[in-house]
Amino acid sequence: MRKKLTVIPERCSGCRVCELVCAIAHTGVNNPKKARIKIISLYPHPVIKMPIVCEQCKKPKCRDVCPTDAIVVNDGVVTILEDKCISCHACISACPTGAIFTHEDIDTPFKCDLCGGDPECARACPKKAILYIPEHTLGQSQRLKTALQYAHMQEVEYYEKGVKKKLRYAEVETGGTRGDNNEN
Amino acid sequence: MKIKGGYHNRILHVDLTQCKTSVEQVNSEFALKYVGGRGWGARLVWEHMKDDCDPLGPDNIIVIAPGPLSGLYLPASGKTSICSISPTTGIYGDSNIGGMIGVELRQAGFDAIVIHGRSSEMSYLWIDDDDIQLISAAKYQGMGSIETEHQLREDIGDETVKVASIGPAGEKMVKMACISADWGRNAGRTGMGAVLGSKNLKAIAIRGSKDIPVADLPRLVKISDQAYKTLSEHNLFEFWQRQGLMSVIDYANTVGILPTRNFKDTYFDEAEKINGDVMELDYKIGDTACFGCPMACGNVNLVKDGKYAGTVIEGPEYETAAMLGSNLGISDFDAILRGNYLCDEYGIDTITTGSLIGVMIEGYEKGLVSLDDVDGMALQWGDDDNIMDLIRKIAFREGVGDTLADGAYGVIKRWPQLIPIVSHVKGLDQSAYDARVAITMALGYGTSDIGAHHARAWPVAKELEMGEKWDLQEKADLVIYHQTVRPLFDMLGVCRLPWIELGFDENTYAEFYSAATGIEFTLKELLKLSNNIYNLTRAINIRLGMTRSDDKPPQRVFNDPIKTGPHAGKALSREEYENILDIYYQQRGWDNDGIPTDETLIASDLEDVIKYMEPKRKSNEAVKTRK
Repeated sequence: MRKKLTVIPERCSGCRVCELVCAIAHTGVNNPKKARIKIISLYPHPVIKMPIVCEQCKKPKCRDVCPTDAIVVNDGVVTILEDKCISCHACISACPTGAIFTHEDIDTPFKCDLCGGDPECARACPKKAILYIPEHTLGQSQRLKTALQYAHMQEVEYYEKGVKKKLRYAEVETGGTRGDNNEN
Repeated sequence: MKIKGGYHNRILHVDLTQCKTSVEQVNSEFALKYVGGRGWGARLVWEHMKDDCDPLGPDNIIVIAPGPLSGLYLPASGKTSICSISPTTGIYGDSNIGGMIGVELRQAGFDAIVIHGRSSEMSYLWIDDDDIQLISAAKYQGMGSIETEHQLREDIGDETVKVASIGPAGEKMVKMACISADWGRNAGRTGMGAVLGSKNLKAIAIRGSKDIPVADLPRLVKISDQAYKTLSEHNLFEFWQRQGLMSVIDYANTVGILPTRNFKDTYFDEAEKINGDVMELDYKIGDTACFGCPMACGNVNLVKDGKYAGTVIEGPEYETAAMLGSNLGISDFDAILRGNYLCDEYGIDTITTGSLIGVMIEGYEKGLVSLDDVDGMALQWGDDDNIMDLIRKIAFREGVGDTLADGAYGVIKRWPQLIPIVSHVKGLDQSAYDARVAITMALGYGTSDIGAHHARAWPVAKELEMGEKWDLQEKADLVIYHQTVRPLFDMLGVCRLPWIELGFDENTYAEFYSAATGIEFTLKELLKLSNNIYNLTRAINIRLGMTRSDDKPPQRVFNDPIKTGPHAGKALSREEYENILDIYYQQRGWDNDGIPTDETLIASDLEDVIKYMEPKRKSNEAVKTRK
């Protein structure tokens, strides 16, 4: 089964544990700047925290632009062959998401290798914002969002033992199938 | 002992007067003796201080010090202490800040920055690994903290640069000015922002790329993997991520310690309108965490409609919601968010701001100050328009705000009639836990080395739990234990909340430190070092003229019994307080005037401090003889 590393930015707190465990696993040092994943935090318009990590494209642009054929796809993992790489950084500009990284201590650009099938970042993320899931389930969260948007959240207030409480429920708009309530 | 990790052993000294920077190589003895963070800060302040120090003069230094665990792979390793002589209190002050700023400093290869002197023009410090520059900040003068951070990143051209800055209040040396970073994390207390303002330093921008050395990384990873796992399995872990410290509103109101209308009361009948549930359901749009923290206590909130629509702010947490909410009679969460936003943008501490605005409202209500005194604003509990106006006036030192901007001492000096209703210790306003229900809390505030802040001791929950089962000595010992273990977190550069809120074993921090440094430490040994620092900050304060009479809690705890709620009728007895203070001094090894004895200082590895205590002891004796 082919799995995909995917992120849910809405859940990310920006704690950078993913960067830390990634750097430790790949370089053996405590340095988040050497990670193969990076969180970009923007504030206040918009408020977003997004872990950026390689999508393992099936037709990778980084591979296409590499002048020395140093980038290959190995069993679904886009891989930079260090001995072939001349560090021209063409791949960095070509990557559509910015998921190839550099550091002055490291000679060649580096990127996510899925940790050989058990990504450290997904294991360690305290907010479950990074998932490693079967490829056929991709898009599930967008589908869920679509369903939630279709529902309108309603609120009722009620009293329990003299204390005011709120209950929330979804009133689903049925888009024409329930004739009575359809304003159109 | 050879340190193998945890430290770069490098301090960056920045002399603003001469526009020079230098790097001090720290020896192992200094590093280990004072640990880091608050410990290093206190020692450096001690070494540079003068007896007639003007906190806002060029001679005062300010130390920005993450700790030896900051930036390492372990839970909540993103804390930094900022230490100086405080303009709010005139004695030792420190405040800690979370977020990322200290970690970035460590990645730039420094364990601390010490800022000396005063720049001739408004400047900012740009630390890009070893490339360090002082650059004109004329462009950012008058800008709010959040805007400064945004603008500096844009001008440097890198959104990942970390920025600590002051707002207009810091520039104007408002005594509750903060240092802010990461858009909403603040070193809020003791006026550290005013110290930066006095030095004409608007901001510090940092970008680091270096490894942080760890002696035994595999060992650290092993302990930390388990630590993260243990925390994530705690039954309150998810709730904590959802509500963070806002959950404390309900707790504080239920047990009757929620500051209400300038600490007059401890129970707010509209608390359910400003609690964690309200925030989570109606306002929260995102989570934030400090570096390496799984708990993500930060909540980003948005006001969706009404007159404050569009206000986005990381916060409030409990203190802010209480001090700008119940303490001002505000039950409208929109207004709390707006107040929080204004305080953050202007760069002022929400606790002191909420406290002193509360004082003015009560003072006006009781006729202790006139309508003229408060610039013609007919102040009322819950009147958010006037309250927002007061926040702005404090930050810009306008009208009555100019007096409030001088802190509790400024207010008392101008209106001595307000003394009974200003809740402060040594000039620092009390934080959001009433002390009338627990003498340990009163003792904690009274003897805290920075003034009435809960960072040093928060024994109220334990005392409420134990009730009358404890005698005074056990209570004094609890306060001392708190004042020893809690500051240790600030020395190590980590957050104490995993320990406090999710019961994480404090012994693990000794293991983290041992793995990082390659030298074996037990928690007991670290607590001893923390206790040494408490004696050092005590010595700083004694040297600056503090006496036993300053170790008293806010007067309200004796004079005004609580009127409503679960503890109606409760107040503390002065006599009992003096008794517990005697016991506390004894247990600490301080004489009856609160001066550490020679034996205590020797036992604390502070022989060089002894000679500064002698004249103080003699002058106390002289006073007694005259009596």
